[in-house]
Amino acid sequence: MIRRFWRRMAWIVPLACSACGETFQSALQPAGPHAASLARLIWSFTAICGVIWLLVMLVLLFALWRRHRPAEARHERRATAIIGAAVAATVLIITGLTLMSYAATRGLSDDAPDPVVIRVRGYQWWWEVTYADRRPERTFVTANEIHIPLHRPVRLELTAADVIHSFWVPNLAGKQDLIPGRNNTLTIVADAPGTYRAQCAEFCGLQHAHMALPVIAEDAAAFDTWRQAQLAEAPAPVTAEQAAGRDFFTAGPCSACHTVRGTSAAGRLGPDLTHVASRQTIAAGQLPTTRGSLAAWIADPQTIKPGNNMPLVPMTPDQLQSVSAWLASLR
Amino acid sequence: MPRAVLRSTQIVLLLGMVMAFAGPAAAADPPALDAASAPRLRAIMALPTERSGANSGAVVAAGTTLFVVTPYPQRVKAIALDRPGFPTRWSYTPPSTPEATALAANMVTTPAVADGRLLFVTGNGHAIALDAQSGTVLWDTIQADVSQGEMLAGPPLVVDGRVILGSQGDDFGVRGAMLALDAASGRRLWRYTNVGPDADVGIGGGFRSVALPNAEPDRGLVTWPAGAWQQGGGGLSAGVVYDTQHELLIHGTGHPAPWQPDVRQGDNLWTSGLFARDVATGQARWFDPLNPHDLYALGAGGSLLQAELDWHGTRRTLLLHASANGYVYVIDPADGRILDAHAFVPVTATTGIDPETGTPQRNPAMDVSTNSTTRGICPGWPGATGGGVPGAGSAAFLPRTGLLYIPASLLCMDFEPRQANYLPGTPYTGANLRTTGTPPRGALIAWDVAVARPAWRVEEAFPLRGGVLATEGGLVFYGTLDGWFKAADAGDGRVLWQFQTGAGIVSQPVAFTLPDGRAAVAVLSGAGGLANPDIDRRDATAAHGAANGLRDLQPPTDPIGRLYVFALP
Amino acid sequence: MIERCVLFAVLSLTACKREMRDLRSDPPEAAALDQVRPMENRIGGAAPRIMYALGQPYEGNAYQLNQGKRLYDWFGCKGCHAQGGGVIGPALMDGWWRYGSDPVSIYLSLRDGRPNGMPAFGQRMTTDQMWQLTGYIRSLGSYRPSTAAPSRNDEMQARPAENRGPAAAALIARPSR
Repeated sequence: MIRRFWRRMAWIVPLACSACGETFQSALQPAGPHAASLARLIWSFTAICGVIWLLVMLVLLFALWRRHRPAEARHERRATAIIGAAVAATVLIITGLTLMSYAATRGLSDDAPDPVVIRVRGYQWWWEVTYADRRPERTFVTANEIHIPLHRPVRLELTAADVIHSFWVPNLAGKQDLIPGRNNTLTIVADAPGTYRAQCAEFCGLQHAHMALPVIAEDAAAFDTWRQAQLAEAPAPVTAEQAAGRDFFTAGPCSACHTVRGTSAAGRLGPDLTHVASRQTIAAGQLPTTRGSLAAWIADPQTIKPGNNMPLVPMTPDQLQSVSAWLASLR
Repeated sequence: MPRAVLRSTQIVLLLGMVMAFAGPAAAADPPALDAASAPRLRAIMALPTERSGANSGAVVAAGTTLFVVTPYPQRVKAIALDRPGFPTRWSYTPPSTPEATALAANMVTTPAVADGRLLFVTGNGHAIALDAQSGTVLWDTIQADVSQGEMLAGPPLVVDGRVILGSQGDDFGVRGAMLALDAASGRRLWRYTNVGPDADVGIGGGFRSVALPNAEPDRGLVTWPAGAWQQGGGGLSAGVVYDTQHELLIHGTGHPAPWQPDVRQGDNLWTSGLFARDVATGQARWFDPLNPHDLYALGAGGSLLQAELDWHGTRRTLLLHASANGYVYVIDPADGRILDAHAFVPVTATTGIDPETGTPQRNPAMDVSTNSTTRGICPGWPGATGGGVPGAGSAAFLPRTGLLYIPASLLCMDFEPRQANYLPGTPYTGANLRTTGTPPRGALIAWDVAVARPAWRVEEAFPLRGGVLATEGGLVFYGTLDGWFKAADAGDGRVLWQFQTGAGIVSQPVAFTLPDGRAAVAVLSGAGGLANPDIDRRDATAAHGAANGLRDLQPPTDPIGRLYVFALP
Repeated sequence: MIERCVLFAVLSLTACKREMRDLRSDPPEAAALDQVRPMENRIGGAAPRIMYALGQPYEGNAYQLNQGKRLYDWFGCKGCHAQGGGVIGPALMDGWWRYGSDPVSIYLSLRDGRPNGMPAFGQRMTTDQMWQLTGYIRSLGSYRPSTAAPSRNDEMQARPAENRGPAAAALIARPSR
């Protein structure tokens, strides 16, 4: 019986740990100094608390083993001394942990010189991302995907449009809330290239779980190339189908909520779609960006992500084809 | 033009924004309107204007005829002053489109008379010239796209056979423009927007700006986030002044769109400042940024006029701009250099003028950001002076006293930017706004330009939204929102005469001489806005927040405006 | 005693019916919802039959009213009508309706626009959205208090709550025109 239990555990523990090996969303796989200091904090806390737990268990076992001894006055005095020492040790350890925690979190909001400034505004249930620049015309709006250069501090200015959200990209930093009417900041630095998944970490309604955001860390050259490409207006349609899609988009209800720079569509309620096809996912990490998923999303957004604010716009199959063709061309 | 006539024309210019006033009869200032005769003023005409909208314009007297243009849908009347009972000589009703009704609610209707033509603009974007004698249409052109929320703002200004017009649609995300038409044919001579690339704005080699010395191209585009300039606003604001010496048109530009400031990072040029343009080509000569990245949607509103005055010992012709942001600017018209700027009302939004840049220093406590309410911003919308539309609420300067008479509002406001969404032809504002204040919420401020402080002020329960008329005889006429039309002594502000017109006054009083030689003053009553019966005052944000700050303003029993003419016996 | 407890428990469970959140209409439903039959002057008329089959969801359903309130903010209604008190457009909360107060009239005002400046939103919104907005606008100018309320204002508090029946005040006070 007992052997069977241990045999099972031998299977289950490595299985459970296997999820920790994922690098794209794990606080234990830090990819930057802030996350690393948090990871160190987690490991230190775990180690210290583990040691204390072991000690407590040993003392408990010792006490159980010696319980037959009759009580005497000198034992009372010794017990008082031991309890006093334990209380003092507890105070010391808790103070130490508090100081460690303080030191680690203080470093998170350091005002680094010359950061990349990204304003993130949380919506139900997607992220509006504005790349700010000292030169206003180099400021642009995108959505649901953040690109950051390696080794350079990135200051995120976080706010929300409707309810409280929380920005959490575990590989790079801790959580920070997005609160309507307030501006919170969070500085992140990535030292390892890769795609890290951020997730809303404050319950914000029906689709809270489906409010993700890929954070792509890449070298400075690739970042600059990406940024330059995002600044450009949407490419002109190449095929007749794409042109028909653009015409439907700008004339119909789509343009009431979405902006595509370079066309007359300038709505500000939904994600900016100027370069939607350049993003890895649509609908805040819900679907990979393909022409098929774009069409599926447009055809019935309420079935893919029930409760979101994108309405089902009635379209003929031809219109759906052409709009998805055009959007898929907006690289 | 002989020098003497020029001088008297300039004085008339000072009497308000009635620039087109160049008619021979109007140019003579009646000397009899002075402190001694003021109590003897009697109403000789009270003619209904048949519309309940705001009468924010002025009438024009030319020869023996008085021309009045009603609020939208416009109707032009030529009233014979030389016949008993003042019959209507002719009237003309231009074709109107109902779609423009809401948009045209607050437009300024002042016409212009020049070379035998009566020129005026309508709420649906038409610029029209009539024969002043017969009322027959000489030409009629469309110069603004009402379907996008653009309207022709402010009175036409006639300069050397050109009709200067400005368009505005700041609250609809329309790039406002300045344009010139040929007065004889109505043909468009030039048109330049106030936001966008240099080619659109008319910025070329002749452009200099004292405050913005770097010569980077396309600043009307690069001071906006990518693409945002296309809905940038910046229409005509504060009227147009013609500087004869430098042959410059000087005009204010409106606020940037939308009101929500964090989606338009940058200085948002060329909104909320003063432009000088060459009258022949429309090319920009200089620009003063008054409120870069305007947070409170005030624009360079208020009044703009030229005055000849002693400035530090020399006699100079200078620009006086009492601005919506609460400062009086003294500006050199040659290059736009700001010589002096001081607050004429209590201001909390800014803490003073930066001597380096000439722009106001922001008060960080009055910063605004989306979804949070900032309380106690002074001045409140639509500003410390002016009625929110170009040419309304003009100040007047009297060379004899050296005082600038400013119709001021002392209202403050609470302001909460909200998510703005651009839909063509619908408002692109994005803000909750309520004004706040307790009496006195308005004042007639006599601003001593030489020493930059008020000489005196007459406090009023409600903000002053109409213009001020200052006569050579030393009388200052102004109207109040609760319907009083008053005459004060230009020297000390004592109110010498007043008349209850029955409806609020937001128009520009005008002085002229009747054909029998008597001095007369004309003013239009009818305030629109909060007096509009369609406003429910239980909503504090109604009527741009006036429902809160002016909650106790009684609606008129009869909202129809009237033209009043007062004369000395 | 036990009987009473059981009875109480059963009774308390009866209130557990959750309000339906109909997140979208099926396309044929939406098409049918657009089939209003207006009077000749486009004020008043018959609602689409399917509205009754669906149980008039846009009048008394808090979710639909709340969506309407969001759309009122998002589609710029405030620019002309403030929070119901009016700016360059008329007040919506005073109980006076130039073009009719019934759902069909308001739906037509939204879809096709009205003279004097009301733009048409038929090309910019879906049928669902226009009915949601219709329900909310009716609640703004309602004479009767309602138990169905949209969410509270999370912005500047400017006027009485919608579900209190603000227009009823016009019956007591001097009508505003």
